[in-house]
Amino acid sequence: MKLEVNGVNREVRSEPLTPLLDVLREELDVTSPKAGCHAGGCGACTVMVDGKPRRSCLIPVAAVDGASITTVEGLGTPKDPSAVQQSFIHHYAAQCGFCTPGMVVAATAYIDGGGSDDKDEIAKAISGHVCRCTGYTKILDAIAAATKQTEFDITIIAPDPTTVTIGGSE
Amino acid sequence: MAKHRGKGISAIEYPTGMNQNGDPSQAWIKVKPDGRVDVFSGTADIGNGAKTIQSQIVAEAIGVPYDWVTFDNSNTDSSPVCTGTFASRATFVGGNAVLKAAKEVKLKLLEAAGKEMEISPEDLEINDGEVSVKGSPSEKMGVDEVAGAAAYGHGVLITGTGAQLKPYSEITNSATGEVDSPPHSAISYAACAVEVEVDDETGEVLVLEMTQCYDVGRAINPALVEGQIQGGAMMGLGLGVLENSYPYYPSVDHRGAQYNSYMIPSPLDMPKVKTIIIENPSADGPYGAKGIGEMANNSQPPAIASAVQDAVGIWVTEIPITPEAVLKALEAKNAGDDSVRRDGKLVSFDEELSVNTVASGLSWSA
Ligand code: FES
Ligand code: FES
Repeated sequence: MKLEVNGVNREVRSEPLTPLLDVLREELDVTSPKAGCHAGGCGACTVMVDGKPRRSCLIPVAAVDGASITTVEGLGTPKDPSAVQQSFIHHYAAQCGFCTPGMVVAATAYIDGGGSDDKDEIAKAISGHVCRCTGYTKILDAIAAATKQTEFDITIIAPDPTTVTIGGSE
Repeated sequence: MAKHRGKGISAIEYPTGMNQNGDPSQAWIKVKPDGRVDVFSGTADIGNGAKTIQSQIVAEAIGVPYDWVTFDNSNTDSSPVCTGTFASRATFVGGNAVLKAAKEVKLKLLEAAGKEMEISPEDLEINDGEVSVKGSPSEKMGVDEVAGAAAYGHGVLITGTGAQLKPYSEITNSATGEVDSPPHSAISYAACAVEVEVDDETGEVLVLEMTQCYDVGRAINPALVEGQIQGGAMMGLGLGVLENSYPYYPSVDHRGAQYNSYMIPSPLDMPKVKTIIIENPSADGPYGAKGIGEMANNSQPPAIASAVQDAVGIWVTEIPITPEAVLKALEAKNAGDDSVRRDGKLVSFDEELSVNTVASGLSWSA
């Protein structure tokens, strides 16, 4: 079998019924998709299959023979991050980062599909993704900001937290 | 059959770090000949931002730009001991360790600069990567030049070490449990206010709005601490109404058999979340910081329970407040049975201790 993974043609030797997630992580050493539940419930394994977000834990690799797979590494690099990636960084939208690869792929698909900056819409779009750390607020902020730009604009900054100072601090 | 709204509020206090039983964090720092600063500390970063915050503390304390600092916590061979990231201790205990190490580095840098500039180190200061003469800022040299001179000219390695340890407390009065050192470090205070909607037919509790207000001492990194509070809020919501690892404890019946059947809040469970950070500096934290990691999810469940009481007049004294628990309590209430109401554990509040740490007049100096 063959897969095009992040623009590179790869030969696959795993058993045909091996989940795509395991092929990526174990055989091809593409480790950004995370194995959270391995049962379709958490979204951490989400990758693009021919441009559409899919849970790689649920797909036998034989079913996507010849497909083009994009993981979060394929969307941008640390030196040249995509707008969504940059927006996640800028809004502090990751803590432990376990959900982040799936969230970024889902957010990219949402924006590519013409999604708006409406937070309720965004919450719906990522509702199949769970995050234990962030409480989602900063993820929604990041995605909303990224809908407005293809190039990340540093002038659209995160809102300042409400801070009240009492007592002498200096 | 109707939906009822209710509001509830809770207030909590929480100490920072492990107290009374010895809990070290240690760090060492070296300065490379180009002035760049390498920090070795054992604090693991599990997403709480320990690396960022400790690097900020080091940059601030030495007086160099943040991006001159690298932070290595990669293994226990190169990094000194740190008991870990738990008990809200990474900023407070780990932060104090790197702060002490950074202060030592600063002294050595000033000493080396004094030699180079032929001036007493006391008359020098470091700001933004430059050592300059106090009151005469144009007489200066870069920290990189100083570090280079130390390495290639003076034959000196500029390093610093720091260790933070809350000492073991002996119990001095077994009747009262009194100990010989202050039992708690940097107590934080927080409150949470929520509004819920309770469906008296299905028993479902919907959290509509949740405002948390946390006294963080000093917000060394406001965006990170805000993220921690927001994350804690949603965990607290999960603990309050959703997450049940053993619904019929001690029986294992209906325990979530896998990851998917343990319900944590999804983006669709989000209420309106509001965060207020209070800076009420501690006397002994780095730059007045306190730790709030653990308490961030503790204030929501009692506020939710109290809001449920406000909405439908029942006290559910166990969390999570599931539809089942609500319906049972409503049934009991309608049958005139109020035995479901159980008093919680009585917690004694040490006023003197708490008042002492409310830092109205306290100041922290670096
Ligand atoms: S690992 Fe695929 S959805 Fe959880
Ligand atoms: S950042 Fe930890 S799970 Fe989302």
